Amino acid sequence: MRAEALKGHLDGMLLAVLEVGPRHGYAIMEALRAGSSGQFDLPTGTVYPALHRLERAGLVQASWSSDSGRRRRSYQLTPAGRRALDTERSTWRDFSAAVTALLQPTPPAVSPS
Amino acid sequence: MTTIEAYLAEVGARLPGPVRVRAGIVAELRSGLLDATDAYCCAGLPDEQAALAAIGEFGDPGLVADGFRTEIAARQARRVTVSLAAAGPLVGLLWIAAAFASHLGIALAPHGPSPDVSPVLRTGCYLAAVIIAAEAWAALLGIAATGRLSRWLPIRPRRAPTAAAVAGFGAAGADIVMLSLLAAVLAVAPGQLAAVPIALAAAASCARLPLATRAARRCLASRAALT
Repeated sequence: MRAEALKGHLDGMLLAVLEVGPRHGYAIMEALRAGSSGQFDLPTGTVYPALHRLERAGLVQASWSSDSGRRRRSYQLTPAGRRALDTERSTWRDFSAAVTALLQPTPPAVSPS
Repeated sequence: MTTIEAYLAEVGARLPGPVRVRAGIVAELRSGLLDATDAYCCAGLPDEQAALAAIGEFGDPGLVADGFRTEIAARQARRVTVSLAAAGPLVGLLWIAAAFASHLGIALAPHGPSPDVSPVLRTGCYLAAVIIAAEAWAALLGIAATGRLSRWLPIRPRRAPTAAAVAGFGAAGADIVMLSLLAAVLAVAPGQLAAVPIALAAAASCARLPLATRAARRCLASRAALT
C-alpha cells in the first residue's frame, strides 16, 4: 500500500501498536508490518519523524535504554495518547462504516411491470 | 566507513539544527538500522547485503531528513516561544517596577498629571507596548502550533518557525525601544531614575536582546530549510 494512502491514519496506527507496551522504532515498524499482513510497508526512516511528532504532541513518551550493548530509544503511550487512540478508533469506525456503505454494490432496481 | 555509517552521514548532513539534536536523531536511526540488519542476517543474508537491505528499507536519505527537518523546526520554534513567553512577563515586570520606582508610572498614563514628561518617552512606551502585544500573540501562536493543540489546528509547518521568529524579533525590538528610552531619560534627567530597579530592568533587556535575536535568526534558518 502506498504511503499516500496512509496519510492521516499513521498516527492512529502508531498509537495502536504502542498500546500493548513500550517499543523502540524498528520494533514499531515490524509491528505495523506484521499487524497489516505486510500491507503497510512504509520506508522505515519516515516512521521515526512521525514518532517524534507524537512525542512533541505529548501522546507518547520516549526514553533511551541500553540492551545488549545497543542503545535504543523506546516509546510508550501517555494518558493523553491513550485518549487520542480512543478518539482515533471511534473516528475510524464512523468513517469506515460510511465508506463501506457507499462502496457496497447497489442491488439493481426492480422495475414495476 | 561502513555502508550504514555512510548512510547516516548522508542523513546527518541534511539535518539542520543543533549538533546535540542531530546526534540524537542519527543515534536513533543507527540503532534501528542495526536492528534491521540483524533481522536480515537472521533471515540468511550475509552482513554487507543485510546492511544494504536495511538501508533500502529505511528509504532515501533525503526523504528521511525531510521528515525530521519539519520536526526540528517545530521543536526549535516551541523552545523559543516557550522561553520568550516565560521571560517576557519577567522582563516586563522589571521595567514596570523600574518605572514606578522612578515615579514614571503615573506620569506615563494617557492623561497623566505630569506635563513635563517628554512626548517622546510616552510615545516610546506605547510603541514598546504594541511590539510586546505582537510578540505575545506570535509566541502564543507558536506554542499552540507546536504542542498538543497542533493535532487540531490546521497550521502549516512553516508557520511555527515564522511565529517564533516574529516573537523573537518582537522581544528584541521591545528591548531596543526600552533601552533607547532609558538612554534618552538618562541624558536629560538622570537624577529622576531609581538606580537599582532601572539597572535590573536594563540588565534583563541587555541579556535577552542578543539571545532573542539569535533564536529568531535560527528559526528563520530552519524555516528556510523546510521544502
